[in-house]
Amino acid sequence: MGNLTVKMTDTQGVVHSFDSVEEGTSLMELGKQNGVSGIMGDCGGGCACATCHVYVDQSWWDKVGAPDEIEYAMLDMVADVMQDTSRLGCQIKMKSELDGIEVVVAPASSY
Amino acid sequence: MATQTTEEMEAKVSERVALTSDEEKVLKEGSLTDFGIQAQPREYFRAMRHGDPVHYDEKLGSWLITRHEDIWDVQADPHTFSVHHGYHDFQARGLQDEFRGYLREHGGGYFPDAIMSDPPYHTRIRKLMENAFTAHRVKDLEPRITEVVSNLISEVIERGDGKCDAVKDIAVPLTIRIIVEQLGLDQGMEDEISKWSGAVTAQISAMQNRDTMIENAKLMSELQLYLIGKMKEREQDPREDMISDLVHAEVTNEDGTKEKLTFEEAVSLVRATLIAGNDTTATAIGNLFYVLTTKPGMAELLQESVQEERMLNRFVEEHLRNEPPVRALSRAATRDVKVNGTTIPEGAHMLLVYASGNDDETYFPEPREFDPTRPNLGRHVAFGGGPHRCIGLALARMEVKVAAREIARQMKNIKLAIPEEDLTYLKTVATRTIESMPITYEKR
Repeated sequence: MGNLTVKMTDTQGVVHSFDSVEEGTSLMELGKQNGVSGIMGDCGGGCACATCHVYVDQSWWDKVGAPDEIEYAMLDMVADVMQDTSRLGCQIKMKSELDGIEVVVAPASSY
Repeated sequence: MATQTTEEMEAKVSERVALTSDEEKVLKEGSLTDFGIQAQPREYFRAMRHGDPVHYDEKLGSWLITRHEDIWDVQADPHTFSVHHGYHDFQARGLQDEFRGYLREHGGGYFPDAIMSDPPYHTRIRKLMENAFTAHRVKDLEPRITEVVSNLISEVIERGDGKCDAVKDIAVPLTIRIIVEQLGLDQGMEDEISKWSGAVTAQISAMQNRDTMIENAKLMSELQLYLIGKMKEREQDPREDMISDLVHAEVTNEDGTKEKLTFEEAVSLVRATLIAGNDTTATAIGNLFYVLTTKPGMAELLQESVQEERMLNRFVEEHLRNEPPVRALSRAATRDVKVNGTTIPEGAHMLLVYASGNDDETYFPEPREFDPTRPNLGRHVAFGGGPHRCIGLALARMEVKVAAREIARQMKNIKLAIPEEDLTYLKTVATRTIESMPITYEKR
């Protein structure tokens, strides 16, 4: 068991606070293992399906950083729900610098 | 959504749309077993989607799930809607014992498809395969894929007659060469692998009779014996390829202990990777030639799109939505369950009709328009969804993208060399595959 903390608000507005997250765990894995609504992680962390889309709290954005080109291309496929601090949860791996991070799970793209 | 309860899912009923008299007729008389409907299914799909979204196709003996929202719900619940039963219980319908017996006697064994399974077993098997084709790993393969595709198209062009079969000369060998290289199989066996692929995918076609079942079992036996031989080689002498990885792979159990994949499981996974890794992507590339030659403005749109990465990515994704290679895959209900107001009985076979979901007007307005600017492109179900979402999706996208780029770079003025109505489609419920597509073109 790790000791990192994460606050994740799901698509129903429920806030999930995790306080024993291990280093290296991705936000997708964390959300999926704990049944966080809206985190599906269909492709298993391959940055290839955009079903673990989160909005990073603005105050954490500099530490998390922008998506690379491959991730951006995937986020572009759900452009209707993309925001400035959009990231795929599978691409954010927990580390001490991100201890305390807050994210909101993005709704599914509709039309 | 992930946390929707089954009760909530079962309580959902969405509005039916009034049908035209033509739609009424096709809904009443149509069946996905009909070869005409298999070739041109959109009207049948629309009639179901509008008037009877969870429709029992009596001749086929399957419940067809045709609305996007319902496909999404069903694929998110792998316990109620079983892939294991949907696939294995209905394999070689009615001829199962004979089929399995043949493979045991002639093909080195009957190897159930480890990936066509349900959680928690499926989760462990899938985990093994997930790292092979992540989007980042596939991006690293792009230069090599480009080389393979570029060479293949150049070889075709060098014949100098300005004619070829876009399916048999380009789409099929292209995808085989790439997956063969990844797996570590032998190059130069495209004809055999293409035939073997047909025999394996026939298992989900629902179209086999006894003669074709035996013929397919014979081909599958050849395939299995070939793969087993290669796997035995790698057991002794591992190399940097996927076969070696799978032969030596360990599955991590829930309690953290590791277990070696059985040889039977490994054979089934090598087989699945080879077949899934070429057949459907070849169909997607064949379909690309089809839209380029039949849909006005598409050749120009492709030329424009290849100028810019983002546009090209979107072009490819819209192509997959517009012409999904896999039109329907199986589930079986593990209990009596209500989907959009209709009760599906326990044990019944179902098809998630992806091609209908991708045409669902409530998600994709004007679905027959080819519009790469759609803001919700990622919601299409060409790759399915949920825990069984296509594992090779990033590789498939990359192959289609590179093919699109190389076609645009090397060929122009591409035309169908036969009337469109003479194109024939593979007889199957599972994919919409053009069998052969003679074209003419000029070298760019």
